[in-house]
Amino acid sequence: MDAAVLADFLAASVRIATPLLLAALGGILSERAGTFAVGLEGQMLVGAFCGVIGTHFMASVGMGLAASAAGGMLLALVVAVATVKFRTEHMVTGLAVNILALGLTSFMLRAMVGGGHAPVIRVATLEVQPVAFLSDLPLVGTLLFRQPPLTYFAFLIIVPMALFLFRTRAGLTLRAVGENPQAAFAAGANPSRVRLAAIVAGGGFAGLAGAVLSLQQVGTFTDGMTSGRGYLALAAIIVGRWMPASTMVACLVFGAAEALSLRVQAFNLPVSSYVIQMLPYLAALAVLAGLGRSARLPAAIGQPFRPG
Amino acid sequence: MSAVAAEAPARSAVGRLLDTARHAQPLLRALVSIALAFVVTAMLIMIAGKNPLTAYYHLFAGAFGSWDRIIVGLNKTTPYLLCAVGIALCFRGNVINIGAEGQIAIGGLAASAVALFAGGWPAWLVLPLAIVAGAAGGAAWAGVSAAIRVTRGVHEVLVTLLMNFIALLLVAEALHGKMGEEGAGFPQSPLFEKAVWLPKLLSGTDLHSGILFAVVAALAANFLLWRTTLGFRWRLVGASLPAARYAGVSPGKMVFSLMATAGALAGLAGAIECLGVHYRLIEGFSAGFGFNAVAIALMGALNPLYVLPSALFFGFLETGALAMQRQVGVPSSLVLVIQGLTMVFVLCAIGRSGGEKV
Repeated sequence: MDAAVLADFLAASVRIATPLLLAALGGILSERAGTFAVGLEGQMLVGAFCGVIGTHFMASVGMGLAASAAGGMLLALVVAVATVKFRTEHMVTGLAVNILALGLTSFMLRAMVGGGHAPVIRVATLEVQPVAFLSDLPLVGTLLFRQPPLTYFAFLIIVPMALFLFRTRAGLTLRAVGENPQAAFAAGANPSRVRLAAIVAGGGFAGLAGAVLSLQQVGTFTDGMTSGRGYLALAAIIVGRWMPASTMVACLVFGAAEALSLRVQAFNLPVSSYVIQMLPYLAALAVLAGLGRSARLPAAIGQPFRPG
Repeated sequence: MSAVAAEAPARSAVGRLLDTARHAQPLLRALVSIALAFVVTAMLIMIAGKNPLTAYYHLFAGAFGSWDRIIVGLNKTTPYLLCAVGIALCFRGNVINIGAEGQIAIGGLAASAVALFAGGWPAWLVLPLAIVAGAAGGAAWAGVSAAIRVTRGVHEVLVTLLMNFIALLLVAEALHGKMGEEGAGFPQSPLFEKAVWLPKLLSGTDLHSGILFAVVAALAANFLLWRTTLGFRWRLVGASLPAARYAGVSPGKMVFSLMATAGALAGLAGAIECLGVHYRLIEGFSAGFGFNAVAIALMGALNPLYVLPSALFFGFLETGALAMQRQVGVPSSLVLVIQGLTMVFVLCAIGRSGGEKV
């Protein structure tokens, strides 16, 4: 396999991993605070939609990105209010907002813009921002330093997020709420408010993950364009055991598997692309089954908090 | 409540009234949730510049306007009812099975394989065999999920979700390989022989006999859940794990039996879709059924009997929405909005009332 093919394969892996990573990071915030992030899929979809709509109508990429984060947060707010205030079942609530997001984005696209039909809104994709000097390095240069902005953001935000979670007081409180909300409550924290904030912040990340798809990679919005990536991000979180850095590795592995499935013919693989597309899911299942009960979830995840 | 039940003979009138109230609660909850969803959706229709009353009129007329429309609605209801009954049972036992999507796909795949490859066998044998293969395929697929859940302790939501993706890819693989129709331009199998098509319930119409399977399944599940030891054990596991263990009920076995039952029902739905609606295996034939069925099960208060009207509602909602799109240009994806909102509202109502299941 020559260098150009390898470079192309690695670049594709990173490209596919980027939206997964951003969504997974958002999911870590929500799950560390004790709420299953099944709604990632819908939040990504709304983010992708709002990004395109924002960019199109306000003629500004910045506004588009802001809109996508806001859209993700808004849908996350629905999850947050339902799970925290009404103590609904987390998994099914996530599923419900995913269905809602699929319908809302498809409906709004046709009703607001297309006059009843599905319009195609084209927006310019975010441009590659090469880092001076470093981008000229062979192989590594193109892979690490010749990327569009959201890719840098996704891979760089890991460090501050890990620091926040494990080295700050606020991060400690967030994790405490996910492990033992009663104890956190006794220590003076407000578990309900922490969970609300964590879910909504996570929705912002998931919204940006959607923007990676629509604004950075495709340049338009199509119905259900996230096609299960939110669920894959969910698996990546567990495989990465709720740690930002190891979740990144999981996302890259998932990305590599999908990149491989697109190159079955180029690489002369003896199996069909569908079998290779199964790899990320099979890998996730295998890792989950391998970890088994040792994949320790945040202790109070999925449990409602009742003060008093 | 238990005190009242104990003294029921003495003041049966009060007991009966309370009983009625208890049965009315899920109905009230569903009706209020649907009403709220329709109100919110009406605002969306207004944003789209259309009159919600006109839109809803066409939705209703499109669903019930003629015998043909009603028949389409009944056919749509069939897979929903089958899957939702299985999911309701699972949720009763606290098994959050969201794998119906994949179980339908595998059921359809298995039934289609029998229908296509059992050439030369008598048709009266192939059709039942295909139906049984569908149910068995769905049950086996759910069984794999249950095995990972029980032996490795991985949360069933994640397992069933991942298994959904694998199932859909398996169908794609089959359609691009041995089972695909050459030169079709779309991933689908060749048409089945007419002899193995699911017979019509009313000759001359499109109403196939699948709805019979679905209604019988709902009634049987209702009996199983409330009148048999197995059903009691399922409910016991769902209500309290320690109590179940104390009573000598193995939670693992209950997860298996619940998942296998739900999988068989979903697989049956897949078989009926292929044998009775498309007469072939088509890529994406199961899209959205599994997740909508969760909404239907919840709206039906996880009670197989109440799931029946709930599934009818969703089935007719979908036929009506297609008519609404044609008549007034309101996109039919509005159905997903109504479904999602109804689900959120029902969940909130259940959560508010303390999370008890009935």
